Amino acid sequence: MLRVNRREFVANTAASAAGIILGSGLMGFTSKEKSDIPSGGTKKESLMQEVMKYRKIDTHAHVYFSEDSPRTQIDFADRLGIEKLMISRPMVPFSKGLPEEFRKCNDLVLRCVKQHPDRFIGMLVVNPTYGKESLEEIKRCVDAGMVGTGELYNHVKINDPSFYPIIEKFIDLKMIILMHTAIGYARVKLNAHEPRNISLPEDFVDIAKRYPEAMFQFAHIGGGIDWEYACKALKHSPNVYVDVSGSNNAANMIDLAIKYLGEDRLLFGCDNSFYQGVGHIFSAKLTDAQRKKIFFENYSQILKKGGKNVD
Amino acid sequence: MLIDSNAYIGHWPFRQFEYNTLDALLGRMAEFGTDASVVSSLNGIFYKNTQAANEELYDSLRSKKIYQERFIPFAVINPIYSGWQDDFETCRTKMGMKGIRLYPKYHDYDLTDPSCVELVKMARDRGLPVALSLRMVDSRPTSWLDIEKEWSLKDVIPIIRLVPDARYLILNVANSPDLSGEDTELLRKAEILMDTSGRNIINLGELLVKYGKNKFCFGTHSPILDYCTGLLRIEALRDSEADENTKELLRSGNLKSILGM
Repeated sequence: MLRVNRREFVANTAASAAGIILGSGLMGFTSKEKSDIPSGGTKKESLMQEVMKYRKIDTHAHVYFSEDSPRTQIDFADRLGIEKLMISRPMVPFSKGLPEEFRKCNDLVLRCVKQHPDRFIGMLVVNPTYGKESLEEIKRCVDAGMVGTGELYNHVKINDPSFYPIIEKFIDLKMIILMHTAIGYARVKLNAHEPRNISLPEDFVDIAKRYPEAMFQFAHIGGGIDWEYACKALKHSPNVYVDVSGSNNAANMIDLAIKYLGEDRLLFGCDNSFYQGVGHIFSAKLTDAQRKKIFFENYSQILKKGGKNVD
Repeated sequence: MLIDSNAYIGHWPFRQFEYNTLDALLGRMAEFGTDASVVSSLNGIFYKNTQAANEELYDSLRSKKIYQERFIPFAVINPIYSGWQDDFETCRTKMGMKGIRLYPKYHDYDLTDPSCVELVKMARDRGLPVALSLRMVDSRPTSWLDIEKEWSLKDVIPIIRLVPDARYLILNVANSPDLSGEDTELLRKAEILMDTSGRNIINLGELLVKYGKNKFCFGTHSPILDYCTGLLRIEALRDSEADENTKELLRSGNLKSILGM
C-alpha cells in the first residue's frame, strides 16, 4: 500500500484539507462530533515516484497486426516503468487454428522482439490439434529465444489429452504455459457465445493435478471473469500461477487473490490494460516485499527455471 | 488539490466491498492525498424509494464534523417514483446535496422519459450537476441477477441534446468514448465532465485533444473499482500532453467549476 510513504508527504500539508480550502462545511450544516481523521493534501508526484520505483515484468502482453503495434505497447510500458513484456499474438478465438496461422502469429512476435530485444520476450502459440506441427513450432520458436507459451485460446481445452505431449515438452523445457479462460462463465452458467473448448478453472485444477511438475499460468483474473470464483477454485493447485491482468480493476481483487492463492503465485500483467494492471497493485494492501514479488520476482524465478535470467 | 468526483458508500448486493463507509473512504483519501470526494449512496440504486438512501447518507454525514469538510454529497433521485420532486427539493435545501445521480437502467426508465427531462431541468435551474454512470460494475463477472446492458458515451447524448444547458458528470467511461462528429461538437459545447475511472479512458492525452482539457476530472468509482487507477491516468500524462496547470484542472479545477465552488 501507499500508506506509509504517502503519509510522510501528508504530514506538513494538513492545512490543505478540503474543508479549509473549499470552505468548511461543504454541506452547510453542523455535525454531532469532532473530526479525528487526517486530511489529504499529499504531493501528487509521489505516486509516479512510487510507481517507477518497482521493476516490472508484464507477464500477459500482446502485440498486434496493426500499424501502431508495438509502438503503443512500448509507450504505455515506458510511462509506467514496465521493463519487460512477455509478448504473444494469440490466434483468433473462433479460427481453425491451422499451423500456418500459429506460425504467422509467432513470426510477428519474433519480429517485434527483434525490434525491441531489451523490452520484449517472446511467447509462442500452437494448436495441439496439430500435434506434430505444434512440436516442430515449439522447437523453432524456442531456438529463436521464446521461453513459454503465450495466451492460448479455445482451440483445445487445457486438460484435453491432445495437450499432453505439449505439456510434457514444456515440462522438459521448464517453461510456463499461459492459457486463456472463459469470460462468459462469470454468471456461473457458461454463456452460449463462448467457444466449446474454452478452459474453465476446474480444467486447470484437473491438468495441474495430472502434471504437478508443469507450470501453468491462469490468464487475466481482471479480464472479465468471475475472479472470486477462479481464485477459490485454484486455491489447492500450487503449480497454477495467476496473472492479474485485464480491464476489470475491481477493488479488492488483489487482496482476495492473496488471501486464497498467497503471494508467490500472483503475477503482474496488463493484457493491454496498462493503467488497471499497475493501478490495482498499488491500491491493494500489499507490503513492499509483496509488491516486488508480484511485479517482478515471481516471474523472474519462473524464467530462471527455463534458463532465462532477467535480473 | 485533489477531489474525487465519483465515490460511494453503502452496499452492493452481489459483492462485498471493503472501503464502503465514510471512515474507510477517508482512509483511502488520506493514503492517496485526496482532499475531498463527491459521495453518494449505493443503496439508492436498489431501494425503490431512493429517498431512504439519501436520508441514510445525510445522517452518516452529520455524525462527524470532518465528513462535512471532506465530502460533497449527491442525492439519488428516481424520477418515476412518487414524491421525487419533494425528494429533490429536500435533498437540495435541507440535506445540502450538491448534485444528483440518476440510474435509469436500474430504476427502469429511459433517459428521455418526460419525468427525467423535467428532473434534469430542475437540476439545471438550481445549478446542480446531473451525474450519470455508464456502468456501475463490469457486467461480465457480476451476478445473474444484475442488469446486463452497459452504456457507451453515445447513450447519454439524448438527454444532453434535450437539456443542453444543464451540467453533467459522465462517470466510469467503461465503453466506447467515440461519438459522431455532430455529437462530439455537442459534447464539446456542453458543460460536462468525464471522470478518469473508466476503462475506456485509455489514452487520456488523446482525449484531452479531442474533447478539451476542461472536459475531464479525477474519479475513482470507489469502492467498486480500485482507488489508484483513475489517478494514475492523470499522473502518468507526459508534460507534452498536460502541463501542470492542466493536471490541476484534472485533479480538481474542472470539478470545482462544475460544482460552482
